[in-house]
Amino acid sequence: MKAIALVLAVIFFVVAILYGVGILQIGTHEAGPHVKHALLFAILGALSLVWIRFQSKPTNASLR
Amino acid sequence: MTWLQAMLLAVLQGASELFPISSLGHTVLVPSLLRWRFDRSDPTFLSFVVALHLGTAVALIVYYWADWVRIVGKLSASVVRGNLSDDPDEKVAWLLVIGTVPVALLGVFLEKPVRAFFGSTALVAIFLIANALVMFAGEALRKRAAGAGTQAARPLSRLPWPDGAKIGLAQAAALLPGISRSGSSIVAGLLLRLDHEDAARYSFLLATPVIFAASALEIPKLFAPEAATVLGQAAVGAVVAALTAYASVAFLTRWFHSHDLRPFGWYCLVFGLLCLALSLTKVIS
Repeated sequence: MKAIALVLAVIFFVVAILYGVGILQIGTHEAGPHVKHALLFAILGALSLVWIRFQSKPTNASLR
Repeated sequence: MTWLQAMLLAVLQGASELFPISSLGHTVLVPSLLRWRFDRSDPTFLSFVVALHLGTAVALIVYYWADWVRIVGKLSASVVRGNLSDDPDEKVAWLLVIGTVPVALLGVFLEKPVRAFFGSTALVAIFLIANALVMFAGEALRKRAAGAGTQAARPLSRLPWPDGAKIGLAQAAALLPGISRSGSSIVAGLLLRLDHEDAARYSFLLATPVIFAASALEIPKLFAPEAATVLGQAAVGAVVAALTAYASVAFLTRWFHSHDLRPFGWYCLVFGLLCLALSLTKVIS
């Protein structure tokens, strides 16, 4: 699971950069940088890092 | 846009964003009914709308200030600690994160394609009727489950993670003008065994980051040269929208203590049918 989270984090950050510099245009309607898309994927990348961190430490609460 | 129109739009936005009656639907239908001609793509109008949404988001943050302080604190502590505890506020905090992801993804990718629906008052009226039927069906299913005694309500902090995401996904239906954000997420919460109070609380908390982020990202539009002409209306409109939104959320949290969604369903059904009839007979367009 930790490896999956790491791969996801890398993918999300790369996608965020590609949207941010305007190279990636999937799901967009205008050319150029896409700040909203970039921010969204950067946040998803950050959440993936949190997921990695959670797997590194014992969890007190069960995932109900 | 006159000052009267601006203030009426501010009141409409502040109230309809939180009442389960669809703010997007009302911002399409009400100006059509009143024969107001706005160019929705006009930069000055967009700046004004951004200000109204900011006002609404600020009202939600102020109303739930104590909750947000606890939620952000517990979330930060959880990340620093690197694990999950049994703390109910921490559970709610992570449920909000999980619930926000689907609507953020769908909102970013579907916002523009969905705007095609905004031009048709008939379609918006149909979505408003669908919104009513969803609320009626949600209440009926909830009552049937409660009557059978198989599904007692559970507190928000006992909501499983996938259910938090499902409610977030339901919220995304509100991208369609006529479908209410709070209506769809409260119905989803009821079907996932929350009571009305907790379903409404989760819905309003869930709406806050979405409305705030969507409007905060558009703040530069407020300072565009064309926006200078509406800056006064935008500033006063934001305050009016904030006051209306605050009063609305205060009313609704008390309302859901002992009432349900059906009166709002009846309103959406009657208003939707009226607008559909007027649209089909070309009285409004």
